[in-house]
Amino acid sequence: MSDTAHRVAWTKQRRVGTTMLKIYTMEAILLVIVVVLVVFAPGFATLGNFFNVLRTVSMLGIIAFGMTAVIIAGEIDLSVGAAVALAGCVVAWFSGALSPRIGSVAAVALGVLVAMAIGFLTGVFTGSMRRWFNVPTFITTLALFTALRGAANLITGGFPLTDLPDWFGFLGAGDLVGVPFPVYVFLTVFVLMHVLMKFTSFGRAVYAVGGNAEAARLSGIDVFFVKTMTLAITGVLTAVTGTLIASQIGSGTGNTATGMELDVIAATIIGGTSLFGGKGRVWGTLLGVLLLGCITNGMTLLDVSEYWQYVVRGAIILGAVLLNQVLESAGR
Amino acid sequence: MTQGAIELDGVAKAYGPTLALAPFTHRFEPGRVHALMGKNGSGKSTLIKILAGAVKPTLGRMTISGRPATFDSPVDAFKAGIVTVHQELSLVPVLSVGENIYLGRLPHRRVLGRSVVDWPRVHADATRLLHGMGLDIDSKAPVGSLSVGQQQVVEIVKAMSFEPAILLLDEPTSALASREVELLFDLVRRLRSGGVTMIYITHRMNELFEIADTCTVLRDGRAVGTTAMAATTPDGIVDMMFGDIARAVRPPRRAATRGAPVLTVRGLTRAGAFADVSFDLHRGEVLGFAGLLGAGRTEVLRAVFGADPFDTGTIAVDGNEVRHPSLRRMKALGVGYTPENRKEAGLVQVRSVHDNLCLASLGRIARHGFINRAREKPFVDRQIEGLAIKVPDAQLPVSSLSGGNQQKIVIGNWLNTRPRIMFFDEPSRGIDVQAKQQIFDIMWREAAGGLSSVFVSSEPEELLEVADRIVVMRLGRIVAEVLPSAVTLAELYRLCMEGRPS
Repeated sequence: MSDTAHRVAWTKQRRVGTTMLKIYTMEAILLVIVVVLVVFAPGFATLGNFFNVLRTVSMLGIIAFGMTAVIIAGEIDLSVGAAVALAGCVVAWFSGALSPRIGSVAAVALGVLVAMAIGFLTGVFTGSMRRWFNVPTFITTLALFTALRGAANLITGGFPLTDLPDWFGFLGAGDLVGVPFPVYVFLTVFVLMHVLMKFTSFGRAVYAVGGNAEAARLSGIDVFFVKTMTLAITGVLTAVTGTLIASQIGSGTGNTATGMELDVIAATIIGGTSLFGGKGRVWGTLLGVLLLGCITNGMTLLDVSEYWQYVVRGAIILGAVLLNQVLESAGR
Repeated sequence: MTQGAIELDGVAKAYGPTLALAPFTHRFEPGRVHALMGKNGSGKSTLIKILAGAVKPTLGRMTISGRPATFDSPVDAFKAGIVTVHQELSLVPVLSVGENIYLGRLPHRRVLGRSVVDWPRVHADATRLLHGMGLDIDSKAPVGSLSVGQQQVVEIVKAMSFEPAILLLDEPTSALASREVELLFDLVRRLRSGGVTMIYITHRMNELFEIADTCTVLRDGRAVGTTAMAATTPDGIVDMMFGDIARAVRPPRRAATRGAPVLTVRGLTRAGAFADVSFDLHRGEVLGFAGLLGAGRTEVLRAVFGADPFDTGTIAVDGNEVRHPSLRRMKALGVGYTPENRKEAGLVQVRSVHDNLCLASLGRIARHGFINRAREKPFVDRQIEGLAIKVPDAQLPVSSLSGGNQQKIVIGNWLNTRPRIMFFDEPSRGIDVQAKQQIFDIMWREAAGGLSSVFVSSEPEELLEVADRIVVMRLGRIVAEVLPSAVTLAELYRLCMEGRPS
């Protein structure tokens, strides 16, 4: 009896041990990398560089939090890079076309709202294709990946739209109390998505839908509504990032954020979100985003060639997934 | 004549101390259709697996077509001229009939020095084979475009393309409509006249008399006997299947009370699945749904629950008709459903026990859309305690639990919604005896508290033990309604198999 009790306690302890390891692996790895970079990378451990890293990762991080929900729900969105470009162009176009008539603030605000609406509706469109025609989101968003970029270039006519008010540059490039403005947006989105996924019934439904759509459906959860909403939220977030990037570079152009979808998905996966759905954390994505940002920044400071940087990032993506799989099977 | 004869001399199979098949000595005459009967776990699958070479007998000798045979693998059985047609189809839907028949051994020819598939020959051979069996099926048609019955027939044609002396047919009609059964029987008769020996497993009594020459009955791993079909009656077969157990008494249990009907289903029909299904469910009642696999019980319950559509019919809760019943609407009316396949449809395996117990009640426990683990905890604890779920920590994923505990979580998930009507679809499948008993106790306890439940089970013993009243479904229709006190196990089995009382 006591032997059994002991064994149970031991198994439990071991389980808790692996769970702890599983939960805090990312934190540990990030810490190690930061320490290594502080020691070896010249100029890494300065406040300026720190905010520089944060500003860079904010742009893709904002979307990565939405992408986390999408992937947990068992779907994918490949169109976010193109959606960012389109959103930037929409904002710039509104600014250029309406500023003389309604003033720059109203024109930009209207542009941002329209960009958000477009992002939201794009998500609804993708979700609807999934629901009514059973088109995988991979396919729909792959189509949008080219279509949205085409639309962005149609708006600009192939030339950057630079007719933006001066104050607009603050959003992407300005500082507030010494901290880059995009970082505030980034952290706000993080908190909102964290709360949404962890403390609302919607968030719980996202996990259930991605973990087992049929079980979720039979429990009375509207599977497609949940999936569609994750896509729509991500669409809105692409408009946020699109606005910030347009502000940062001072123009709306159809060629921004090329390949961003891959970085966004990579950060999400590095953060431990499972492409099979049902598993993942917004907090993990935050770590994934920071990890990717630190590595890229560190390698640049260490003067590693750009080509090697690509190879290293690829290795990190694969390594992170492998690590998760290994820990997963160790926990069984 | 020994070609096609199967002689068994004391063939037995034991798994550890459990005897799956007691020593069995018998000679299956060649060129006949031999039926195997017996309820689940009677040993007929073991016998078939031994003949197919999938299982090695512990004892005994086999002689196939006059030659001693020892099978180390299915390949050996195949070489001895035995081919099995399984219940599940093994055809590739997108490939043509001919391609499926010769899959993995397509004939080749040389064109310009290269070896290519000889398509004209594939289809010529397949067509000859099909026509030889009196079948008018296009060899070039994709298998997916055929009806299930035609596919089953193609499966048999494929088996026959190996020219076996012996064909093992494992419930080939279980998925077929009656018209398609005829197609299959025609083929079986034709093969018999061609001298093929067939071992035929079925649960349908009337098929037995239509197609079989002899029937061997197994019970609890023992061959009870073999009889020529001409010399017996359905009653004779049922007596052989059950012997003394048929007269076992029902265990004493609570007095059944019958309140007002809370759920009324009238004339529910969905083409191809079920037809004209009507039943009442009363307050505090456990209504059993008996029938064979594929009788349409799950389909009816899922339709009533709003998970699947239906064509015509009405559903009323508390006497008020539910128009356009959707899953969410039925749930709001206090209806719950635990699916038969808990792994695939009942649980989110990667999520915790806690999350799974709060899945159906997500909206109820949340406040303004926000969930709070502390608020949920009493709900989780109540079910873990009330259902005696063995789990060291509610945050562990459900995949780490045993089948019985998983089933209890599926039930607990719904009990947390405070349902008034519950559909338990095969809640006892694949779980141990103790867990089974606990789940029955839960059903009774909830029934005493006013819950009305429908209990689906493919084990008539369980229905007799648990249900207050039993409706029997067969081929998508309700064929009988009985009280457990007024029916014997054998009678209930016959109702499930034949749809007629004895």
